[in-house]
Amino acid sequence: MNQDSENFDSLRQLLALKRHEVPPPGYYDRLSRDIMARIKAGHTGNELGAELSWFQRFLNVFDVKPIFAGAFGTAVCAFLVTGVITSERTPAFAAGTATPEGATLANLSNGATPEVEFAGTTVSSNAVVTGSLFDNLPSLRTTPVTYSLGGN
Amino acid sequence: MREATLTMTDPIPGKPGNAADRPAEIQADPAAVEEAELVQRARKGDLAAYDQLVQRYQERIYATVYHMTSNHEDANDLAQEAFIKGFQALKSFKGGSSFYTWVYRIAVNKTINFLKQRKNRSQMSLNDLDFNAEHDPDLVALISDKNPRREAGLTELQEKLNEGMQKLSEPHRLVVTLHDVQGLSHEEIAKIMGCNIGTVRSRLFYAGQQLQGFLADYLK
Repeated sequence: MNQDSENFDSLRQLLALKRHEVPPPGYYDRLSRDIMARIKAGHTGNELGAELSWFQRFLNVFDVKPIFAGAFGTAVCAFLVTGVITSERTPAFAAGTATPEGATLANLSNGATPEVEFAGTTVSSNAVVTGSLFDNLPSLRTTPVTYSLGGN
Repeated sequence: MREATLTMTDPIPGKPGNAADRPAEIQADPAAVEEAELVQRARKGDLAAYDQLVQRYQERIYATVYHMTSNHEDANDLAQEAFIKGFQALKSFKGGSSFYTWVYRIAVNKTINFLKQRKNRSQMSLNDLDFNAEHDPDLVALISDKNPRREAGLTELQEKLNEGMQKLSEPHRLVVTLHDVQGLSHEEIAKIMGCNIGTVRSRLFYAGQQLQGFLADYLK
């Protein structure tokens, strides 16, 4: 124990060296000036804290009491997980049952002929749906035309 | 750190400026009374009053942060942020303890959070030793003995010492800084760290053993 005590005394002598570590001359004058300049730059109102937006004040709470940051992060994560789970349980169009008359893209590609009703008139499409809508367009061809002016 | 127990939230009944509501230690000490007046003025937006508070405590706050980080630039930034945060949070300071202890805790919390973030980036930027270092009786005794310290210059000792400090955990480094470098009492350290005196003592002992092991070549 005495040995420990002596060694600690020696250690404390060594630690005294740290008290002699000093910043550059004039540093403390600049430090207080910088601090006050930064405070003035953000201090426009008479009321303390009035210049801070709600968001800055919100962040300040986290800085003073970091436990709130943890609680907030946990709440956000819980919200996200709940959102993901809820969205997975909602009936989706991908199931293929939400489209009217069961006219899904899959049915169309199988050659089905969907019927669309407009004010009592049923329009039936007999065209077989193929790979592309442009496949059934008539091919355009250029035909030369001859005109003759005058009576003959 | 039990940051939730910062004195910002200490309930103090009555008007903040009422002298009868101040703690006994503040009523008895003229310097504390003056500090309380400055705090009251600063709470009302008096920047000159806050400037006086900054000038009063900036050296101790900077030094503590510097000894924790072993980096002048980081200490500069953190000390500034601590005082700015102190100004912004003055409304929540009820006067349950001294302004000094309160702002100290802000600085310590900021520093510990910073050190946790920079875990893997420990680049030292040490201040120069002052002129008096060579004449300090402790240091004269230390380097005049016939052991490896004699060969080591003060600058080498300084680097080795800071390396050793950086190997300690943040709470252990803090107790060494506050007690052995800053000269604060166990009671003051307990208030700042939000723990009991027994914890401060045990941390001091453990930190001493750790440092002793690392600096064995430079000790008797």
